[in-house]
Amino acid sequence: MLNRRDFGKISLAAGLSATMGTPAWAASAADTAVKAAQKYKGLTITVVWEAGLQSLDPTHFSGPKWKELTGMDVKVVEVATAEMFTKIMQDYKSGAAAYDALNVIPAWMADLAQAGALEVLDPYVAKYGYAPELQTIAPTFRDNWMKVGDKIYGFPDDGDVFIMYYRRDIFGDPAVQKAFKDKTGKDLAVPKTWADFDVVGAGLTDILKDKGIYGASFFRQPPYAMYMFEERFRNEGGKFFDAGTMKATINSRVGVKVFTDMRNENKFMPPGVEQFGFVENLAAFLQGQSAMTISWPPYGRWAEGYGTDQEALNWVPKTKIAGKVGYALPPGGHPELAAGFALSISSTSKNKDAAYLFIQWLNSEDVSRQRVQLPYTLRDPFRNSHYTDPGYLALWPNAKDYLAALKQASQTGLLDLSLLQTDKYEEVMRQAISKLWAGDDPKTILDAAAAQWDDITQKIGVDKQKAVYAGWAAKSGAYPKL
Amino acid sequence: MAAIAHPDRNFKYWLLSPAIFLLLLIGLFPLIFSLVVSFMRVTMLETDTSFAGLMNFAQLFHDARLWQSLAHTVLIIVIALPIELLLGLAMAYLFLDPMPGRQVLVSLLVLPTIISPIVAGATWRLLFDNRYGPINQIIGWFAGHPVPALWTINPELVYPAIIFCEIWQWTPFMFLILLAALSNVDRSLTEAAEIDGARFWRSFRYIVLPAIWPVMSIAILIRGLDLFRIFDIIWALTAGGPGTMTETISIYTYIQGFQQFESSYTAAIAFLVIALLTVIVTWCIRRMGLAK
Repeated sequence: MLNRRDFGKISLAAGLSATMGTPAWAASAADTAVKAAQKYKGLTITVVWEAGLQSLDPTHFSGPKWKELTGMDVKVVEVATAEMFTKIMQDYKSGAAAYDALNVIPAWMADLAQAGALEVLDPYVAKYGYAPELQTIAPTFRDNWMKVGDKIYGFPDDGDVFIMYYRRDIFGDPAVQKAFKDKTGKDLAVPKTWADFDVVGAGLTDILKDKGIYGASFFRQPPYAMYMFEERFRNEGGKFFDAGTMKATINSRVGVKVFTDMRNENKFMPPGVEQFGFVENLAAFLQGQSAMTISWPPYGRWAEGYGTDQEALNWVPKTKIAGKVGYALPPGGHPELAAGFALSISSTSKNKDAAYLFIQWLNSEDVSRQRVQLPYTLRDPFRNSHYTDPGYLALWPNAKDYLAALKQASQTGLLDLSLLQTDKYEEVMRQAISKLWAGDDPKTILDAAAAQWDDITQKIGVDKQKAVYAGWAAKSGAYPKL
Repeated sequence: MAAIAHPDRNFKYWLLSPAIFLLLLIGLFPLIFSLVVSFMRVTMLETDTSFAGLMNFAQLFHDARLWQSLAHTVLIIVIALPIELLLGLAMAYLFLDPMPGRQVLVSLLVLPTIISPIVAGATWRLLFDNRYGPINQIIGWFAGHPVPALWTINPELVYPAIIFCEIWQWTPFMFLILLAALSNVDRSLTEAAEIDGARFWRSFRYIVLPAIWPVMSIAILIRGLDLFRIFDIIWALTAGGPGTMTETISIYTYIQGFQQFESSYTAAIAFLVIALLTVIVTWCIRRMGLAK
């Protein structure tokens, strides 16, 4: 029979178990990381980050904060996006081990993982109990940007997605609506298909051109236009490859139509739109020169003037359209999750555990919520909680609509193509697009591009690439369910 | 008489040996290593260091893009080099005689050569910008209407843009070299020829040109080699585009080596370039009489 002494012993044991044996997930992931990182006080870890605005996060916010909490120094190596893959591979191939933590564009993950450049993170996730907070990352990013095969190689850390931004004042102007109806016989509405977009864009240009406003403007420089092609091609029913033979099918009827339409649309866009990059297109939209555009989330924030009073953003043209911007999914309804970033660890790092703790802390609920609200960085919401955060919702009057659009886009978004040696395929597409702007025939361009893709596939190994493509195509965000 | 102690004849070689060793280390070792790698199969995904035979060299002959890039390079040399030479010579003649402010003007003219080519290319890209660049604006003033020329995209304009930038930056180099060469021509010969009724071209062809030829030929060779390896200005302006239209051999090699990580194939390309340049330079040296 249980006596009082036994009961006391059992209760004490239960109480001690409850406190000392408390699972790691009961404390937040950020707290866990900070606590575990105390033993690395005085250590310096090196992190590769995109040069420019993105780097202001670790240099001005997260790096100093991490040092304050843990005593660890964070050395930021800023690298232009176009050079990041090269630098990471060079570091790995040379064995220099100069980098600890990495920012990796998810489309590169297959290549980097295959090459052995990335550390498998599963053991660290288990050790520091990060799995529950990983589950609260928005599903599209969580399910598609973390793993290669069944191993975790990165934590999604930047919810890049294309959003359509449009001028509510123009679309809601009765005079413009009437003129549009008279011209086209249709009601003016934010386009949901690319066929509608062509009608709306051309119509608005005809109506508003005398006021210096065009129906739309896009960034057309090949590195950006490549993403727009990938998105639109799939929204219109295209497939990159024949899954059975691995023959490229970008030169299908759909591909030719998309290329032809893209070039025709330049006619109702500002002159010289073929040279528009991120900044040129931003300037055109913020200065009120276009009624519609498609771009990454920062456009939406800067259009409302959020953060543009910061010194780091003094190059952003002052917005003339604050309070006039609406948000929608791009035509087709399935936007490209263009680029994005995931946090990874270099497989050659000499400080893997310390670097892991830093990226867990960065990516955690608590810290990421602060980071995506920094006015000067480019990190976009990527967790479920980010889309409903009261602080974010209060940043400008229709931030609610902005976050709702981002959330919807993340749910319907399409992944960048990710294969072995993705950059080779992408380079072919970039050149194809530059030939498109130069005036070459779309069918001829795409036939040549498809042939080059087939060549690349042959060199890599058809069966090898087929397996990787099958894995990618099986992901929920690979092709839209039309 | 005491025997004269001979100096150690080998001492000079001992003094030179550290420098030679260093040169061999940073020059010869990479060369030999590259040659070895060119016979392997080292790519981004594979590090197969077994002997792969002449696979990479065989691939060179089937790589249409490689030969196109060589053709683009030759095109730039054939157009830019003569223009730089003629302009440089004309400028040298202009500044041959003393004039007020000559030194200041010469210093200003030489400024483009001290700018880093990548900076020059990036700056010209801004100047050529369709919307905000001044070049289109100035052309528009003369034309009387806006001229939305796409200098870095329009296939008809990319080469003029590149060659213009190249000539702007490196003609001063030719100018300086030729100014020095012309300054050393014996004036009495040209004056005597003038007195005898020889016109400028005759005097130039039979007196001046032979006198400045050794220096001029060196300048031509140096600029020719510089143009062969042109990279920065084109990378900044067009990155080899539109498509691969302005891709030179240096740009193509860079893409293969540092973007595609085809290390073995890149090494093979490098040796093809070395072989071609060796033949060309040897021919030039003989033809120009530089070996005399």
